[in-house]
Order: sequence, then structure tokens, then C-alpha cells
Amino acid sequence: MIKDIIDKQVFELKKLWANKRQLTFQVLNLAMIVFSALMIWKGLMFVTKSESPVVVVLSGSMEPAFQRGDILFLNNAKHQVFVGDVVVFKIKDRDIPIVHRILKVHTDADSGEVELLTKGDNNRVDDRGLYAPGQLWLKREDILGKAVGTLRYVGMVTIALNDYPVLKYVLVGMMGLFVLTNKEG
Amino acid sequence: MHTVWVRLNGVVFFGLTVLLCLSCLAAISKIGHTSSHAPVIEKLELKSLRSLKSHGGVDRALLSFDLKADMTPAFHWNIKQLFVYVVASYESTKNRNNQIVIWDKIVESIHPEDMMIELENVFVKYALVDQGDELRGKDVKLQLMWDHMPITGLLYMGEQPLSEASSFTLPTEYQ
Repeated sequence: MIKDIIDKQVFELKKLWANKRQLTFQVLNLAMIVFSALMIWKGLMFVTKSESPVVVVLSGSMEPAFQRGDILFLNNAKHQVFVGDVVVFKIKDRDIPIVHRILKVHTDADSGEVELLTKGDNNRVDDRGLYAPGQLWLKREDILGKAVGTLRYVGMVTIALNDYPVLKYVLVGMMGLFVLTNKEG
Repeated sequence: MHTVWVRLNGVVFFGLTVLLCLSCLAAISKIGHTSSHAPVIEKLELKSLRSLKSHGGVDRALLSFDLKADMTPAFHWNIKQLFVYVVASYESTKNRNNQIVIWDKIVESIHPEDMMIELENVFVKYALVDQGDELRGKDVKLQLMWDHMPITGLLYMGEQPLSEASSFTLPTEYQ
């Protein structure tokens, strides 16, 4: 059964290789899919002014609101932040951004700049222990964006891909093969 | 081409598209819900000031408050939980505005008995701490706010109208 399928795919690939015109068409088709995805991502970055407009929740610190595997849509276009906003922020020298809620906002009288303190809904204490050593407050520029929307479970794919890197190549390989061998007419 | 793979691909892709569409429909189905369904906040005010001290160089006030609010109207079928919080805000010479959450509560839709919040003389979860030593004699405003967390879709905030918010003045001396 599986051998049949593989044989069929190999046969299709060989046929495709022989027909250069068809090959070019399929390769261009594949390139179009890849570049469309890239354009959507970059377009979102431009509209939301966030370097990462979509993030996957990796921890349970915001449960029950957000669970591991939920995805969040971020918006960073609005400069002002308020207490109670769920924001994604980055700590210096740490790769993984954190999704937590703002607990305190102090707006400086002269500069108008804000100093923020955050906390996870499901955590017992505020985030000072997570910040860089000696850091007491977050600044506006540490924030990648405010969570404006959520979609459940979609991020599970990303988590699986990160946990099992082999899966990444298998999935991409299969998708590429399909696009190449799948012809409309 | 009608191989098993093409069919499988079609079914999975179509399934995902349907799920995504249903999620979007669920998200837009309750737009405008807040305009006709507002939570009723009967009471939010200071009960007693327990202490106002200088604590490690910064002013810290501990207090208790009364809260009576019915959050039931804010819920609908796409709300997983409300994050309800009490915000104390005041102005100081260092800061144009200070906003501090002193109490919060997660109200889940699966626990309807929690939607009616009735608390008397409840102690703050987080102390009212200034960035400097400017708490004495300040006017502090207490306001109830809540964040709607959907099952899927958009997050949005709600708050008690400023005109209905209560306020109190902290004493001019430490106590």
C-alpha cells in the first residue's frame, strides 16, 4: 500500500523531470506559495508595528485564559499601555518572549515615559524575579505588543515542530512534494 | 489524480478551513454585546486604611475595601473568563499618573456562582506602593475594571465609569 504510493510519487517526479516546461511551472507555483506566506507575515509586521505579530503561548502562567498551544495576535501600533493589558515582552539576553498582564503603570511627569510591572494571572508573585538581575521595571520598548485576539490549539503544531525537529523536515518535504506532483490538469 | 494522499490532503485542508470559519463566526457573533449588557457595580469604596508606612525607602499603604458587583451581564457564549481587577490611581510630583492593581479575581464562565461578587472589608492582594515617598496626603481613586477573555476571538476591556468611581484621601502623616 505505502510502497504503491511511494512508487507512484517517484514515477510522478520522474515524469515531471522529463517535462521541463511542467517542472518550471510547478517550481514557480511552489515559490509563489512560499513568498505569499512571507508577504503576509511582513505585511502583518508593518500593520501591527510588532516584530512578532503572532506568538504561541508556551507556558501555563496565564491559565485558564491562555493555555499552552494557543496563539495570540499582537498589536503594537498603539503607543499607550494601560494597567490590565495582556502584553508580550522581552527581557534582555533572553530569547523567549513572555505573555503576562500589566499590574502597575507609572507615567513620568517630565518625559511621559512609563515604567511597568507585570504578573502572570496564574502566578503567585509578580515578575521581578523573571526580569534581568537588578531590573525593577519594564520600559515601553521592551513590549512587543498587546494581545488583541486569540485562537486555540493552532500553536500546538509549532510546539510539536519545536519539540521534534525531524517533524519539520518531514512536513516541509511532504508539502513540497505535493505541490510539485499535484497538477490541476 | 485521485490518490489516497490527494483525498486525505483535501479532507484535512477543508476541515481546517471550516474550523477557522466557525471560529471567525463565533468571534463576530457577539460584537456589540457590551452596549446592551453592562455589569452592575453597586459599590466599590475604601473600608479602612490599615497602615501607611515608609517601607524600604518607598511609601506603602495597606487597606481594605468593600466591593459589590454583578458581572453576569458581561458573559456570553464566547467568553471563557473575566479578569476583574481594582485599580488605584493617583498623581504625584514624580509621576503624572500612577495606576496600581490592588486586587484581582478570575471569574470563569463555568462557575456562575462567582459572577456575583460581594465582598466586605476585603484586604488588598497587592499593596499600594509608590515609586518614591509621595503617598501621604494624596487623593486616590478606586475603579473597577475587567478584561473579557474569549474562547476564540478578540479581547476587550470594560471599566466602571469614572464619574461613578469612589476616591479617598490618604493621611498626611505615617500611621
